[in-house]
Amino acid sequence: MQLNALDQDRLDGKLGKAMQFAMETIVAAAHIDQADALIDISFAHIDACFYNGRAHLDFVNYMLEHGATLAVPSWTNNGLVSLNDLSVRDPLASREMHEARELMRAYVRLGCNPVWTCAPYQLPDRPGLGAHIVGSESNAVSFYNSVIGARTNKYGDYLDVCAAITGRVPFSKLHRDEARAAELLYDVSAIPKQIRANDLFYHLLGHIIGRRSAHLVPAIVGLAADCNEDDLKAISAAGSSSGSVPLFHAIGITPEAATLEISFQGRQSLRCIELTVNDLCQARNELGQNTDQALAGIALGTPHFSYTEFEHLVELLAGRSIRPELVFYLTTSRHVLQQVELQGWAESLQQAGIRIITDTCTYFSPVVCGLQGKIMTNSAKWAYYAPGMLPVDPLIGSLQECVESAVSGEVVLDQWVVE
Amino acid sequence: MNRQSSSIEARILIAGFARGSALVLDDSLSFWGGFDPSNGEIIDVHHPQYQQLVGGRILCISESRGSAGTPGGIAETLRNGSGPAAFILGERDVNISVGTLVANRLYDLEVPVIEVSLSVMKQISSGDQLIIDRRGVMLFDAE
Repeated sequence: MQLNALDQDRLDGKLGKAMQFAMETIVAAAHIDQADALIDISFAHIDACFYNGRAHLDFVNYMLEHGATLAVPSWTNNGLVSLNDLSVRDPLASREMHEARELMRAYVRLGCNPVWTCAPYQLPDRPGLGAHIVGSESNAVSFYNSVIGARTNKYGDYLDVCAAITGRVPFSKLHRDEARAAELLYDVSAIPKQIRANDLFYHLLGHIIGRRSAHLVPAIVGLAADCNEDDLKAISAAGSSSGSVPLFHAIGITPEAATLEISFQGRQSLRCIELTVNDLCQARNELGQNTDQALAGIALGTPHFSYTEFEHLVELLAGRSIRPELVFYLTTSRHVLQQVELQGWAESLQQAGIRIITDTCTYFSPVVCGLQGKIMTNSAKWAYYAPGMLPVDPLIGSLQECVESAVSGEVVLDQWVVE
Repeated sequence: MNRQSSSIEARILIAGFARGSALVLDDSLSFWGGFDPSNGEIIDVHHPQYQQLVGGRILCISESRGSAGTPGGIAETLRNGSGPAAFILGERDVNISVGTLVANRLYDLEVPVIEVSLSVMKQISSGDQLIIDRRGVMLFDAE
């Protein structure tokens, strides 16, 4: 690979040791990816602020001690703890939690914008169509590529930071036009319209696509023209949990898929899979069984709850309260919480018995207070990951089903896909 | 071909020398969520090598899976000494390679990562004694 003069200076250490380390890592990644060039990026979403052992702290401290600065606007993903609410996961309870907080502070010192969210695309000033960026958290990578049409591979920890420091990434995979063509088609038109209008449908669809697409880029035909970003967020998150779907196209909806021909870049589909209600039932069963066990709580906001999701929640709750024996957690970003506070919704939801948490999420360990036993969630991602890390038995439902269950104290499901 | 005397040229992803006993994983693995970096144990209950320890082994794996957290899991297990002596991959896996590169650099280690073809991967069984040299040549160790 041919490096330009500035990249060569970076690699030779002429711009300091932190830059040298970052550039070595980018060049190594380019070699592994067999990329023949590097390109500029305009934005990075940083995942390395999520604590995963002492090495994370050693890495960022090395960068800070050797004078690292960031070349592009860099926003932080969730942390393991909440800096706003230390009672969510107590930083004094263990060395790990203490280091998790230190790690988050280190990324603020490095110059990151501390948005602490896995749904950075819900905030203003997001990257646009065709922008080369660095995404890291899997749902955000999928949303940026699919829904916004920005271009990113899934950058793991350290590579995200090295890209933000150098402003460069290998010109490979989803940064290139040809890798963005659809290869596999899902047709959902046979599924009754009222089911396709339900928010749970998008989570189940994402779960199915993640399971079945292997490494192919999927396209979906038959989605309602008015499906919104919350629905597309659900597909992004669910598809990136049950499988690896860093890019999907929704025909007539997402920006690189005005038509079938455009999304496939003129090529033929390898396969067309027609989905039915049975597929949705199966997906729902895979994401948790409704056993006789008593309901213990509700977890919403994976990925972080949006302003419009708050709006629906307030409507559905209609002034009622959560049963006091249940826990009800809702995770969101500081930015969205601020908007919601302006409407007076945060206060009314809290009074109803909902605990709103920022900066982190509830599906990973250590478990947040009281979250055990049978937990209902509207998120396929939460239902997929939580049982591996927490003492929970998840059950997935629509937002309405979650709300009705929370108010009555027992699981309330609609008739469809219950079987 | 006598496997014990064969040497195989692999593709170097991260250069280094290592010698040890192979541990072949029959499925891909996420090093965040599926792996405990504090002791090097595979904790994914669905994984065929569930509860195996990777410490000191030459870890043969097709590729990592899932999360952006894989490089951190790799760097942490290498930092605390519970990690593999080397990786032999079936795919060019950037996440495993970057985690290893960062640990090598921060902690002055020399853990190599090489990529081999599927047919070479199939010749390796858990317990085989392997050597990887700095030119990316893999040998079955007769010792």
